[in-house]
Amino acid sequence: MVKRIALAQLSSCWGCDQSLVDLHLRLLDVLPELDIVYWPAVVDYKLADLEALPKKSIHLGFVEGSCRTKEDVHLLKVMREKSKMLIAWGSCSAYGGVQGLGNQWDLNELLERKFLRAETITDGRIPEENLPGFTEQITPNPDIVPFEVLLPGCPPTSDNTAEALTALIEGQPYDLPNKTVCDQCPKEREEKRIKKFKRAHEGHIDPNKCLLDQGYLCLGFATIGLCGAQCPTVNTPCKGCFGPPPNIADHGAKIISALGAIADMSPEELQKAFPDPLGSFYFTDYAASYLSKIREKLRSEKKK
Amino acid sequence: MTDEKTIRIAPVTRLEGHGELTIKISKTGKVKDVQFNVSSTRFFEKFLEGRFAEEAPRIAPRICGICPEPHHLAATKAVEAAWDITPPPAAVKLRRLLINAKQFSSHALHFFALAAPDFLAGPLGDPALRNVVAIIKALPDVGKMALEVMQFGQDLAAAVGGKAIHPVTSTPGGMLNPFSEEKRDTFLKRVEKAKEQTLETVALAKKVVEDYWDPITKLAVTPTYYLGMHDKGNLEIFDGNLRVMDPKGKIVADFKPKDYRKYYGEYVPNHSYATHIYYLPVGYPAGIWRANSLARVNVADKMATPIANEALQEMRDALGRPIHATFAYHWARVIEIVQAVEEIEGLLKDPDIVSTDVKLSDVVPKKGDGVGCVEAPRGTLLHHYWTDEKGIITKVNMVVATNNNIAGIEKSLMDAAKQIFEDKAHESLKLPDPMIK
Repeated sequence: MVKRIALAQLSSCWGCDQSLVDLHLRLLDVLPELDIVYWPAVVDYKLADLEALPKKSIHLGFVEGSCRTKEDVHLLKVMREKSKMLIAWGSCSAYGGVQGLGNQWDLNELLERKFLRAETITDGRIPEENLPGFTEQITPNPDIVPFEVLLPGCPPTSDNTAEALTALIEGQPYDLPNKTVCDQCPKEREEKRIKKFKRAHEGHIDPNKCLLDQGYLCLGFATIGLCGAQCPTVNTPCKGCFGPPPNIADHGAKIISALGAIADMSPEELQKAFPDPLGSFYFTDYAASYLSKIREKLRSEKKK
Repeated sequence: MTDEKTIRIAPVTRLEGHGELTIKISKTGKVKDVQFNVSSTRFFEKFLEGRFAEEAPRIAPRICGICPEPHHLAATKAVEAAWDITPPPAAVKLRRLLINAKQFSSHALHFFALAAPDFLAGPLGDPALRNVVAIIKALPDVGKMALEVMQFGQDLAAAVGGKAIHPVTSTPGGMLNPFSEEKRDTFLKRVEKAKEQTLETVALAKKVVEDYWDPITKLAVTPTYYLGMHDKGNLEIFDGNLRVMDPKGKIVADFKPKDYRKYYGEYVPNHSYATHIYYLPVGYPAGIWRANSLARVNVADKMATPIANEALQEMRDALGRPIHATFAYHWARVIEIVQAVEEIEGLLKDPDIVSTDVKLSDVVPKKGDGVGCVEAPRGTLLHHYWTDEKGIITKVNMVVATNNNIAGIEKSLMDAAKQIFEDKAHESLKLPDPMIK
């Protein structure tokens, strides 16, 4: 049976769409199985068309991006109402995404930097007309509405999306694996005793050895193994953009505790090596962290 | 007399990003206002603060999933400028290969998936048929070629950048992964077909131009300033000076990107989260400029490669220079695809492309600021970072490609809206029989 599918984009980069398009000739196998009822990136149906659909009339609702504007929140809720199965597609949707790092500041600080203080601005103002307004902070989509399926990744690879889509079209479950990027990585690993961390631009990477063994902060050990270890394979440390495996609740907390165990360094030395723990340990999932949630709570209490 | 009317198009589709369109029409049928409401932004310029600068090339690509390579490279160049680093020459060649691979695939995606549906299904066609999925069904040969062309560029970008969407290998001081001879040989084999398909794409574009000559030359012909990069007059996308051309076709500025603040103004409209960049010396709105393919072929004296240059001459013979016809952006884009594939072929044949000397080992951060500028498919992209002595970012200014176009898009939409709503131009324009019905 042909499945009705909607693909909606909240605030994000289009990378998940590009990843789907990057199936290229394999799209020819997938497309006949799908009746696209909403996909503004590619197809001309408007929001009003989506809003006019009956409840639960969409078999598969893919949501890319996170809620940076109030319009995003509206679109997310419409997608929930219209979809039988809602899929958090990509790390923005599953965890808030890189823009979650903005939660380190209050909204007015973000607005001021962009619209009032940027070096080239000649007529500063905060735009308001015919615009939706911003959310106070990024809240991960699954904390706003329930989802049936999570498919993280920044972006999920074309294979990831194809695999999930094929399973869902056939009515099979799609579950995330508990393996890590290290499980998929071809590099040789040794017993880890790290004496000093190197930054990505420092020194020369030995292409055969584990990057973490060489002192580079490669987060493969705490990151879900879905990507095929794309970055370490090309001598580039994993930044954890797919988030943690499902059995880990807080990505950064897991990373910090693991680093404490494998580094021959005092807590002070470790702290000095990572002056930006949020950027280093929560690349795309700060909004989903305990730290961000605590901050959000303090912020809303202060407002009262 | 009818009531005042507001037309809202929400969302604007086949657009990478978030936009809505508001057109206000007076009681007497005059177009009072056209707004292109860009309805989201994510504040990268703020949340890059406090990060290790060498991580910016990993973070900034997330601004755009269609064009992450230009962000990856502009970010790398900005950090290298701030830290006074010159990467090895072979690394620069790999970066050029990466940006051309992206130029190729992005332009192909734009032409086939975002733009072509308007021409193949026709502007008055059924919205349900006006998309690339319908093209694939109705014109399988064109659809298959479109997918293969896009795939060539994306596969090459992944081979150089580690992954095509949000590449990772460029870092301050060079490239983290050399390009293997094995990969080079694979793409040398594929580039011939890619070139042939590019020329078929040019032929398809020419047919579209002939079929739609009337609307192309009459609708939304909007004089503006133009901004684009060049290298000794050749169209350039990785490293060069920036030129500004005035609406009459005179080059009024030619400068190093690091001096951008003398030439760039950023106007914040009340109705868009994307700001309007303009030519500062003239002021706003007089100095509204456009970037992207048409701007680049306007400001450049010629293309950098021979077949592309022939194609540009043909376009100039037909439409002159400067070209203000908004629909000519598509034609210019196809000419740039030709340059991209010719550049790719040249780089693949260069023995340095498989050099392993692609990364400095003694990169040291320092306090300073640096500008990194490249041409993204959609226009001139500029990152400006300030770092402290440890190499941590303290401040960021970014002028992304699209913002150079927003004011120009709005201006051309205003022209088109007046032609359609006031002069009923769509009733008199000659349109061909659509290929997809």
